[in-house]
Amino acid sequence: MSIQNTQTGTEETTTIQQKVLENKRPAAIWAVGMLVLVGLEFGRITGWVVTAGGVAALIFDLFVSLPAIIGSNVGGVFGFAGDFVATGVRLVTTVAVALLLLAIPAGTVRRLLPVSPAKELRPEMPVNIRLLVDRAIVTLGLFVAALLIVLTPVGGAVDSIIAAIQSLFDSAASVQTLTSRETIPNQGYESPSGSGWEGTFMGLSPALAWALRVTVIYLYATLLVFWIWKGYTTYRQHYREADWTPLDDSIDRFRGHKWGLFGLAVVFAFLVLAIWAPVMGPTTIEANHYEPYSNEFQYLGDSGDVQSTFHGTANIQSRSNGDSNVGPMSYDDYGRWAPFGTNADGKDLFTFLAFGARTSLVIGLVTIGLSGMFALILALVSSYYKGIIDLVAVMGSDTVQSIPALLLILMLMVTLREFEHPIVGIYDGGILLAFILAFTYWPGLWRSIRGPTLQVSESEWIDAAKSYGQKPSVIMRKHMAPYVLAYMLIYASLILGTIIITTAALSFLGIGIGAPTPEWGRMIESGRGYISTQSWHISTIPGIMIVFVVIGFNALGDAIRDAIDIEADISGESATGGAA
Amino acid sequence: MSQEIAHSERQRDEDVLIQVRDLKTYYGSEQLIGGRPVKAVDGVNFEISRGETLGLVGESGCGKTTLGRTLLQLETPTAGEIRFDGTDITTLRGYELKEWRRNAQMVFQDPDSSLNQRMTVGEIVREPLDVYEWKTPQQRRQRVRELLDTVGLKREHYYRYPHQFSGGQRQRVGIARTLTLEPEFIVLDEPVSALDVSVQAEVINLLERLQDEFGLTYLFIAHDLSVVRHISDRVAVMYLGNIMEIGPTEELFTDPANPYTRSLLSAIPAPDPTSQKERVHLRGTPPNPRYPPSGCPFRTRCPVRIRPEEYEQLDEEIWDSLNRLEEILEERRRSRGAVDRFREKVGLDTRYATAAEIREELFEPLAVPDQVESVLDDVSAEIEAGDEMAAIEVLQAEFRTVCGSEKPSHHTVSDSGRTSYCHRHRDEHRDPKTAFEERT
Repeated sequence: MSIQNTQTGTEETTTIQQKVLENKRPAAIWAVGMLVLVGLEFGRITGWVVTAGGVAALIFDLFVSLPAIIGSNVGGVFGFAGDFVATGVRLVTTVAVALLLLAIPAGTVRRLLPVSPAKELRPEMPVNIRLLVDRAIVTLGLFVAALLIVLTPVGGAVDSIIAAIQSLFDSAASVQTLTSRETIPNQGYESPSGSGWEGTFMGLSPALAWALRVTVIYLYATLLVFWIWKGYTTYRQHYREADWTPLDDSIDRFRGHKWGLFGLAVVFAFLVLAIWAPVMGPTTIEANHYEPYSNEFQYLGDSGDVQSTFHGTANIQSRSNGDSNVGPMSYDDYGRWAPFGTNADGKDLFTFLAFGARTSLVIGLVTIGLSGMFALILALVSSYYKGIIDLVAVMGSDTVQSIPALLLILMLMVTLREFEHPIVGIYDGGILLAFILAFTYWPGLWRSIRGPTLQVSESEWIDAAKSYGQKPSVIMRKHMAPYVLAYMLIYASLILGTIIITTAALSFLGIGIGAPTPEWGRMIESGRGYISTQSWHISTIPGIMIVFVVIGFNALGDAIRDAIDIEADISGESATGGAA
Repeated sequence: MSQEIAHSERQRDEDVLIQVRDLKTYYGSEQLIGGRPVKAVDGVNFEISRGETLGLVGESGCGKTTLGRTLLQLETPTAGEIRFDGTDITTLRGYELKEWRRNAQMVFQDPDSSLNQRMTVGEIVREPLDVYEWKTPQQRRQRVRELLDTVGLKREHYYRYPHQFSGGQRQRVGIARTLTLEPEFIVLDEPVSALDVSVQAEVINLLERLQDEFGLTYLFIAHDLSVVRHISDRVAVMYLGNIMEIGPTEELFTDPANPYTRSLLSAIPAPDPTSQKERVHLRGTPPNPRYPPSGCPFRTRCPVRIRPEEYEQLDEEIWDSLNRLEEILEERRRSRGAVDRFREKVGLDTRYATAAEIREELFEPLAVPDQVESVLDDVSAEIEAGDEMAAIEVLQAEFRTVCGSEKPSHHTVSDSGRTSYCHRHRDEHRDPKTAFEERT
């Protein structure tokens, strides 16, 4: 928000910037703390940014290629009419789709423009037409810019600039951080002299070094969350204009919810495990799991000298298959620490499970993100406009719900795998599974929030907003969505647990996520035969983890529901007060 | 008479702000399968002068809120026109409609429901300014603070949430929001009925003060007659989608012309406990607006309904029972489906009472004259034959008068231009007042 130094007269409003300037201390303390925390993990955080950028680039590429794809498809239909016609149709369609796509960001760009092009041309134009003309002009401008980039050397220059920025980020991402494997290394060999360990952190045993690193990771993550919370409380105490907001009550209620705090703790542990997966395991997933025969390590041989071997070779000797066993909290014969033991292939179970958490989280978030977004938008639109749109939504969701989900998953997974569709390649079918689950979950989500959305849509504040001409999109976003989001949050946390179980169950059955992507369900399946032997841990540990994570998400959902106290929210009957 | 109306209309023409002609708002007619619409507003005519307060009263469900909402284009009228300053606003679309909306705002009944509890009071009051991108954000905040001041709240309440206020204060926030765009016309939809009595007076006084200060025009919807009497310049009485009587407040309250107004006003408790005022009890509940009675909408409950000459002296209770009988038959005729007809054909039990049961229930303790008795026999015969339509026709042939067969017209009943919607104002009938005195 820009501060305009107009003649403000009895201006009483202070912006947040002014408030911070008046009382610098709390903000400064917080900012310094945050800088230190970010600085400690600068490389990792940059790595996250790079990943996010990669995903964004992927989606961007999809949109960029859309006009050409649609164009050639439509052009192909006209193939019977001869090459000339087909090419013409293809060109026209491509340009039309490109213009339509560009018209979407054009609205935002128009708002950012300091002048209105149409007003410059014809000042007497009515406002509604002027806005349209402006948007059309901006769209054309964007189109010309896009053409310039695609068809002229400008494109090459842009590409090289992007590449330079990317490599800058990449090198920043490789900077060693507090929680890096290099900072607290745990892989080493017993020194031949018998005076401890070589290569590990301060000569500690691999077990201790690993435990130390995991502790540091969890400490850091806890501190980071605490500091963000601290930032919120600092803002609330020193800089927020309102002395009370409805959210305060919800937060207070949540803080008193023991079961919910337990859930939060479990979910937090799960999230940290997934996010810091690459440095969680005693060994890296590449060396131990993906490419065991291209990575060597050193160990103290029987003859008392330091030898080196491939992980793969060592894995064969460290299998837990009933006969031989490397159980939880033990070393294998090569001095490699296995906190959760090894699996039937002799690979480290903990490393596998840490990455399995990541897989579950990604699938869960993609599923919830897609289906939740769709359900929310559909619920808002269908309950705002009601009538025929609502009817179509009901029929659509009924149709989707009538498809047996398991059958659909089986069919799509098998056929797409057979055809080696590129989407199967991501996470060995994980993303595909997420898409299918999103498709089967949205009707349920939509049904769950449809009631509350309809209820909110009947509120008089919606009528009030209509009566002063507020746009429907803004009404939905500002006056309806906040009330529905509470429900979304509850259902999302409940469903996230279900998705994790479903994914594990499908992988257990062999139709979910294929090897080699780590997945808990597949590990349970692979250890099934050894459950009654000394190698019981292969199935048991991931099973217990799934149980905990799902219970955790459910507890969190319960607590959010209790904290938000939806009844009071929508009916407004039991006002919880605050300082009036 | 028509000359008179034309004359008075011309006089007021210059300062008329709102002119409503044959306005109809029907609900539920967009069903996929035919169906009858709910006639919430069924042909309404009135006008409101600039700076005037028009009170709109009536029982719940009579369509007064729908009328208010239609005036603000929150509902789309089925027919008719609404002229605001000469423009027919029912034809406005898109940008023009949005621009017009600045001129007309609404205060809602329930301040709990009309304020978004997730927004601060400041954001709520500011939102209309944001919609029209009024000046700079800072000037908007400034204006909001001034408005809070205007409606009797504190300027520092900007960052409070609706939860932190009492009902009366919340209603003030709602009022501040309607004032933001400086409208000319405000629909007040029962603005005080959700408030404590002690707070009601404060809000009413605020509304009056604001009207003087900003020259506002009010449509004041309420079912509390004493509040309406206090604040309104003119009052319109609504029943089942029709305006039954409309005219200057005092005149209407002291000398109601329409039978419905008379019944409604007699429901006001008199502050004098020794008062021997004759209360007119309205019988039954208002009819279903999906199936309004033919002719006059009030005829099914009217205490002074015009009767056929030969039944003029018939007992009041028998009349009631006859009315009930017609209602029951109508309802049966509407609800009888194919299944029922089939069950009757094959001699199965239907869920309907027999003619004898109905008669017993309606007429048992009454001394029914022979003449009526013979009509009832005919009706029973038709019911037994399963033909309600014929039964109704028999009843109507005997008892129907102009009240059931023709819609009344709005008769001017005083020099001030007050009109009343009743057949009894015709020269050939005694007027409602005389009829009341005779019947009670």
